[in-house]
Amino acid sequence: MTWRFDNPLRTLTSDEQNKTAMEVWEAESMGGIMENNNRLPQPVVYLLVLTIISAYLITFPLWGQRPTAAIYEEFVAAMDSPEVQALPNDAARMDYLLKQASESGSKYATPHINHPISMDDLRTIRPQIEALKAQGVVLDDYTVVGNKVVLANFEGNLRADGTQVRQQPWWDIGYTIDIFYVIYFCLAVLIVVKRLPPNSVQPRHGNERMLSDAEIAELSVHGQKRRVA
Amino acid sequence: MFGAALSMSMFITLVMPSFNIFSVGSTALALDKQLTYGFNSGWNPDDMFLSGANKPLKVLLKQDPQTGAATEPVHAYVFPVNARFPSGILHPKVLGAGSDVLSVEQGKINEASEAQGAVFLVRHGEHEGASYPYIENATATRGWTADAVLHAAGDANTSHAGAGKTIFVREGCWWCHTLLPEQTQDFQYFGAPPYLGDFNGESPTAFGSDRKAPDLLHVGSRNSSKEWMMMHFFNPRLVQPHSIMPRFDYLWGKTDADGNKIDYAAWRKEFVQYRNGERITPPEVPNYRSDSEIRYLIDFVLNLK
Amino acid sequence: MLMKYLFGKNEDIPPGTASIFFSFSAIVWFIIGTGLGSFNAAKLAYPDWVTGFEFFAFGKMRQVHVMAVIFGWISMAFAAAMMYITPALGNTKLWSEKLGLWSCMNWNIGLAVGLFTLWMGMTSGREYSDFIYPIDLILLFAVLIPVSLNVWMTIAKRRTQGIYTTNWFFAASLFMLMIVLLVGNLPEYFHLTGLTEAYLTWWNAHNILGLWITPVAAAIAYYTIPKITGNPLYSHRIGHLHFWSIVIFYSTPAAHHLMSAPLPEWLKSFASVEGVLILVPAIAFVSNILLTLQGKWNMFVENIEVRFTVTGVLLAIPLNMQGGFQQTRSINWYIHGTGWIVAHAHLALLGFSTFIEVAAVYYGLQVLMKRKLYSLALANFHFWMLLIGFSIYWIAMTIAGLIQGAGKIYEVPYIDIVIAEHPYMIARWFGGTLVFLGNCVWLYNMWMTAREGTPVPAGRMVHELAYER
Repeated sequence: MTWRFDNPLRTLTSDEQNKTAMEVWEAESMGGIMENNNRLPQPVVYLLVLTIISAYLITFPLWGQRPTAAIYEEFVAAMDSPEVQALPNDAARMDYLLKQASESGSKYATPHINHPISMDDLRTIRPQIEALKAQGVVLDDYTVVGNKVVLANFEGNLRADGTQVRQQPWWDIGYTIDIFYVIYFCLAVLIVVKRLPPNSVQPRHGNERMLSDAEIAELSVHGQKRRVA
Repeated sequence: MFGAALSMSMFITLVMPSFNIFSVGSTALALDKQLTYGFNSGWNPDDMFLSGANKPLKVLLKQDPQTGAATEPVHAYVFPVNARFPSGILHPKVLGAGSDVLSVEQGKINEASEAQGAVFLVRHGEHEGASYPYIENATATRGWTADAVLHAAGDANTSHAGAGKTIFVREGCWWCHTLLPEQTQDFQYFGAPPYLGDFNGESPTAFGSDRKAPDLLHVGSRNSSKEWMMMHFFNPRLVQPHSIMPRFDYLWGKTDADGNKIDYAAWRKEFVQYRNGERITPPEVPNYRSDSEIRYLIDFVLNLK
Repeated sequence: MLMKYLFGKNEDIPPGTASIFFSFSAIVWFIIGTGLGSFNAAKLAYPDWVTGFEFFAFGKMRQVHVMAVIFGWISMAFAAAMMYITPALGNTKLWSEKLGLWSCMNWNIGLAVGLFTLWMGMTSGREYSDFIYPIDLILLFAVLIPVSLNVWMTIAKRRTQGIYTTNWFFAASLFMLMIVLLVGNLPEYFHLTGLTEAYLTWWNAHNILGLWITPVAAAIAYYTIPKITGNPLYSHRIGHLHFWSIVIFYSTPAAHHLMSAPLPEWLKSFASVEGVLILVPAIAFVSNILLTLQGKWNMFVENIEVRFTVTGVLLAIPLNMQGGFQQTRSINWYIHGTGWIVAHAHLALLGFSTFIEVAAVYYGLQVLMKRKLYSLALANFHFWMLLIGFSIYWIAMTIAGLIQGAGKIYEVPYIDIVIAEHPYMIARWFGGTLVFLGNCVWLYNMWMTAREGTPVPAGRMVHELAYER
């Protein structure tokens, strides 16, 4: 079982061993099945790389959360202002709030569109949002469910002060383990595959036959002989 | 190499998350669920045919069981003789840090015995400066016996939700009705999703994976009508013509509340006539016996607040 | 005859007997499983169809269908394939035909008892591990361990130097299934509760599919395609990539079944990325098999076994694309718990894996009984019934699931979703019934093959004779 490392991307095994391995490969019939030694086609390699990249990209929390309390915070703050009160009806007031938020470059402009709310509903959740603000908690950790504002049940990362992030994380130890895991997989498979004869050598088929026990005992792969009982 | 690969995967997916899950303390809801549902709602040697045997009862007490004096209404969890205790009582560690210490030191749950029955309460207390829910063994701390509490509460204030969960599991309700409103956007109608600490001690959790019907985790808050439940279970098409839920009329058993035999064949015939427009009113749904399986199931559903 | 073999000497039992018994048992369980499925589907379309019998309630029958199909049809077809492919690849005989027959009998009895108790309502309440744990233990010790022992000993006593790819998968999957059943049922043995129970339930469910059904079905295709086409396997190296990516990637994403439960977020992140990486073994497998077919694509049309296998392999493409992406955070919130997931599960079990196993059973029975198929026309009929029935089911459930997802997001009253889904429930029932009827025809065809099929002359291969009259 000798290793060689001078040309690791071609083979990790000595030429001599690769030669005997190929001889076994060409001589032996396993239930009439033959095997080739082709490489993974290049387009498929690209496909695998694409898979690994998209595995990360699409696992980030892009869409689909319930509305958080934070996205209505600015509405709550502005709803009592004289400009809003002066408007004739609730629909106009909500339009005004929305317009104001998008014009002021609020980072919640998109969630406002995705999670529309009526003035009546806003009045219902307003005291709860104000109470939370008074407590000084992170409003993004709270979601609006019907007429209630409740703590979200995401079990996210811990903050420095020991409280838990109640949002889907953009990065956490799970992703880190994944990076390590993918590298570990690639290395393991690279080593396994490069211990095989290089793909420039293809077996010549047609001479395979069922070997006798004595012949099997003679042959060796990676220096390992097999004794047939 | 194969062993190393498999062990690595099992270490990450089994050992590492178990630290997170074990470290979470129970919420008051988790204590309530354990004490309501008892040891196990699936198959177990105490209830081989899943008939709801050996389960606790949840009662609403409005008077002190010893003196008879009126008190603030309080929920008590009555474990009759030989009803199995839930995991949290058998292994207080399951309750999580804080709750386990309080339950043992102040709640005296270690003194409870299945052979004699026990009554439990859910309380809140302080431990090392933080507030935790804990379980109190009222049999040890207040001398309440199971029989006295059941007598004081009366049948109308007694819920068989524990036995009902067994029926829920046995009848496969959870194949269509999930018990898990989703945190990522879901019907606001179905209510708030549960937290990690809401499940300590519960088995099986029966979340369900294939939602063919409304989520039931908070159904008792949406609809608390016993009469509606009764009609809906007997034949869902009585209250919702488009429902695809099966009929659970067989859970009524052979006789109704007055001991009369229920004539299912005649009922079905009359229902078909009603459906075909040959009758103006649907046939009456019989009242169920207080020890029938449908009572357990309805108690369970109404208890899902 | 069975008694004579069960209590006779191992040497007196003709080679292949165990596999033949397993094959016919599998076909019968397939008919039972799909029959139950069709009946259940009818109840979803017409809830008052059969009413008044407690045991025909949907909630009591649904899990019986699932368990009958997974542990009756699919797993028994696997056992049938292992019992003839493993010795064939080692140029040897099965280690013990007698043990094989005993495990077949134990399996049939144990499964029948298990399904009966399940039908009675005796359930653990945990999806995919519904059997009460005494039944689990019986199946583990009286069935899985004997079958594994047989396969492992056959490989150990092979008369070849190397071990072919198929046999790596067989040997490893049996071992992994054992671990999965032992660990996955820990909540029942030791009464673990809460989210530990929920998570282990899905760890078990995920790994039964990922470390048992998927790799063994793929392993069978690694045998049937090179064997029947006569082409060498395209690449031994890609076989390695496939094998190791199954062990490393497919064993990890269990948590992606609980994306909406309050599990630690890091576990969901990890599982979800790994879930997409399931595409790595899938890409390796599909490319290896399809490239092996180079120059022999005519057999896809002409040969029934190749047609079944390649259809299964082609179905693995949408299967893994769906499976990989359905579970990610960006998509799962929309479709979690909808009928699309049901469609996906049927794509895996009734599409991908069933088509490959059907081919293995067709081929194995002809080889072992040394008889030509009784009727090629009936086999073609069977193929099209399965494919059309499955396609109707799959398309109907995909549409139903997307309706359900939209209803969920746009907060439509639930009953409106039920009404909107009704036509698709009828289509689902119709598709499932076609599959069931096709299987009845299959049993007749194989039974007649055993009784009246033309004997295959010594030295000829069955697939060479398929079109000779």
